[in-house]
Amino acid sequence: MEAKQKSEKFIVPIGPQHPALKEPGHFEFTVDGEIVTNATARLGFVHRGMEKGVEDRNWTQGLYLMERVCGICSHVHAMAYALGVEKLANIQAPPRAQAIRELVAELERIHSHLLWLGVAAHEGGFDTLFMFSWRDRETVMDLLETITGNRVNYSANVLGGVKIDINDAQKDALRRGMDFLEERTKHYLKVVTEDETFLGRTRKIGVMTFEEATLLGAIGPTGRASGVQRDVRVDSPYAGYPDFPVNIVTSDAGDLEARFVVRIKELYESYRLVREIVDHLPGGDLTVKVPRRIPEGEVISRVEAPRGELFYFMKSNGTDKPERIKVRTPSLCNWGSVLTTAIGHKLADMPMILAGIDPCFSCNDRLVMINGKKTETQVWDWEDLRQYGIEYYK
Amino acid sequence: MTIGSMLGDVVKSFFKKPVTEKYPFVRQEAPENLRGKLVWEPEKCTGCMLCVKDCPSNALELIVLDKVNKRFVMKYNLDQCTFCAQCVINCRFSCLNMSEEQWELASTNKEPFEVYYGREEDVKFLLEKASRGEAEGPCKED
Amino acid sequence: MNITFPSLIALLLFPGGLFLLGSGLFFEYLDRKLVARFQNRIGPRWFQPLADFIKLLAKEEVIPAGTIKSLFILLPIFALAAALTAALSVPLFGFKPVFSYNGDLIVTLYLLSMMTLCIGLAGANTEDRFSIVGATRALTQLFSYEAPFLLAMLGPAIALGTWNISLINQGATQQSLWFIVSQPIGFLAALIGLMGKLELPPFDAPEAETEIVAGALTEYSGRGFGLFKIGRDIELVVGLTLIASFYLGGFSTPLDFLWKVFVLLLITAALQSLFARLRIDQTVGLWWRIGAILVLCQLVLIIVGNTLSPFIAPLLGG
Repeated sequence: MEAKQKSEKFIVPIGPQHPALKEPGHFEFTVDGEIVTNATARLGFVHRGMEKGVEDRNWTQGLYLMERVCGICSHVHAMAYALGVEKLANIQAPPRAQAIRELVAELERIHSHLLWLGVAAHEGGFDTLFMFSWRDRETVMDLLETITGNRVNYSANVLGGVKIDINDAQKDALRRGMDFLEERTKHYLKVVTEDETFLGRTRKIGVMTFEEATLLGAIGPTGRASGVQRDVRVDSPYAGYPDFPVNIVTSDAGDLEARFVVRIKELYESYRLVREIVDHLPGGDLTVKVPRRIPEGEVISRVEAPRGELFYFMKSNGTDKPERIKVRTPSLCNWGSVLTTAIGHKLADMPMILAGIDPCFSCNDRLVMINGKKTETQVWDWEDLRQYGIEYYK
Repeated sequence: MTIGSMLGDVVKSFFKKPVTEKYPFVRQEAPENLRGKLVWEPEKCTGCMLCVKDCPSNALELIVLDKVNKRFVMKYNLDQCTFCAQCVINCRFSCLNMSEEQWELASTNKEPFEVYYGREEDVKFLLEKASRGEAEGPCKED
Repeated sequence: MNITFPSLIALLLFPGGLFLLGSGLFFEYLDRKLVARFQNRIGPRWFQPLADFIKLLAKEEVIPAGTIKSLFILLPIFALAAALTAALSVPLFGFKPVFSYNGDLIVTLYLLSMMTLCIGLAGANTEDRFSIVGATRALTQLFSYEAPFLLAMLGPAIALGTWNISLINQGATQQSLWFIVSQPIGFLAALIGLMGKLELPPFDAPEAETEIVAGALTEYSGRGFGLFKIGRDIELVVGLTLIASFYLGGFSTPLDFLWKVFVLLLITAALQSLFARLRIDQTVGLWWRIGAILVLCQLVLIIVGNTLSPFIAPLLGG
């Protein structure tokens, strides 16, 4: 056995069920002792054919299907879809609806970042921080349930507006919740930037420089932790963001600690925004009428999900069903950064580096083809794709 | 630079009550606008079918017994419902509502998930017709 | 308490044997419950470890291909036997140990290390990548904490001039100053060393579930896993008893034993919930750069103090 191991590379396979994230993804780390020398990832175990499925539904039904692309950032998917449809139909949701959209999006960001904080702490073996941050996350989950009626897939959007209104009791509950969470978050920021044992796992680990980040196309908080000044909420504000602007949070360190700090500081921004929206909620209607048949056209809709830029391409052929919807989720853009920064680190750091981008596996269930030579074109018909799928999962 | 910076939390929580909810024994109160089971009132329905058309999960079926006299029966497949409330938004006569009380929807068989709404005699008529026509299992009215 | 039990009863029922197994499970429950309470959770119910153990015993044991079968089956038994044997010379529950002889401290400490060795071997026995990485880590960790732990346990022994556990226990009872006060470094090293031995957080790198699933024991299921688990529980009881009797002024009654061990368990549970997991290189660094040197210094001080005390004592006494 000894000789056999020497001759071949020692590969630690992780997955198809990741032991820490409990999500389907397969990783192979080639290790030399404890040091990782190569890393590969294989994704797409949860391909659900949603982009195809949405072509079979009418515009309204598609909203609810796209909301289920991701369980954690469900609202931003629905929002991107609704904004895209509204752009196609050349209408604008009323300001109150836009503000409520932003409110729910920010609450969702709070819940997503707190969830991530717990998961990342758990990866580092700091279960106490995990338990406490998830306990406090319950506050924002309850708030979401109070204002939307659902805990996970909130379905706050309809085409042309929102379903829900905010009353005074809910405003008070939101203010109280934000006060509590802000206090707790301050404490967590102290813990992750001061605790010696935890810093041993995060400081100078998984460093990605600004150049690397731009080269690998890192987006969202992962990119911002490396100094990439990119945030759709700031660059091209949508929904309520022109009225309630966000301040971009960045850091230049690029290591895991910076990713913690950036995400936690983004939480402060979210608390501030929620308070501001609650205080200055514009009056007026909640919805405008959207025709059942959406005029012909193509549109691109971008929103900032908790993990980064979410991109929708939508094409309508003038009927009551979409012709094509293409989704590019943020997690997909950040995989390159994981596999590159992993090399040279210890095996023990892998879960932390992996969790550092806040990966969402169910977002990765789409086919990506990279066409190296720009002149070549490729045509895949249905039969080719089917065959490819069969081969892939064999 | 500190070691054990969560000491305060740890000590405090040792003397505090655990936050774990003992769910089946102690129930938390549901918020006012929770989206639970769908409720349909037949009186106001005009049979426009908008709710059925836009349901993303095909959970609704509106069976028309007599269009002129407005005799409809709504078959609601609870197990397919995603509680998105699109049908509630669509309904112009507010016949549809989501209950905030009935949300514990677990069962060991499929039977309770097939809900018929409508006037009692209509549902009875429909079920009798169904049992005469095919050997479909008896469906209880909710 | 100076009650001597007939050796068969002492071996099989009380205080060794069955009662020891039961208290091992109870200690595991207490540990889990305390950690849960520290994390504001509710924790398991009292019978959870027992239920787990029974379930594991009832389950099918899968022996993976590519292992040496006899070794795979025997290792958990060895590990449990070593832990049970280690309990024989320890004043469990405040009763006189069953077998007491000169130098039993060393034998007990070696028996306590058998568990880690067995786990390391069990991991290396399988072809599973996680097991092999886990086994390497477990053995690396053994090398890092073993020497400081041994030195820390020798502190009171050298101070009292005997290597017999029950004599040390008696000696510790008669000391006016508990050893925790006169040898604080030794106490800390012993307690943290015990946590390393039992692979409790933050020293759980050998079985870090987020990295290598379950470490060396990944391939174990059913009976083998259950035996390893209960062996570790017994080691927890034995280890805590040793530290309490050495550093917390010894004990002569069960009541004395209970409160002292409970205090120790409270401290270990708090330590478990306070820190992030140390990487294996950080563990080794911690022990050799800080732990070993401090303990060694203290040991030198004790020895110097012991040799000088005949000369100093008359001066102090006037």
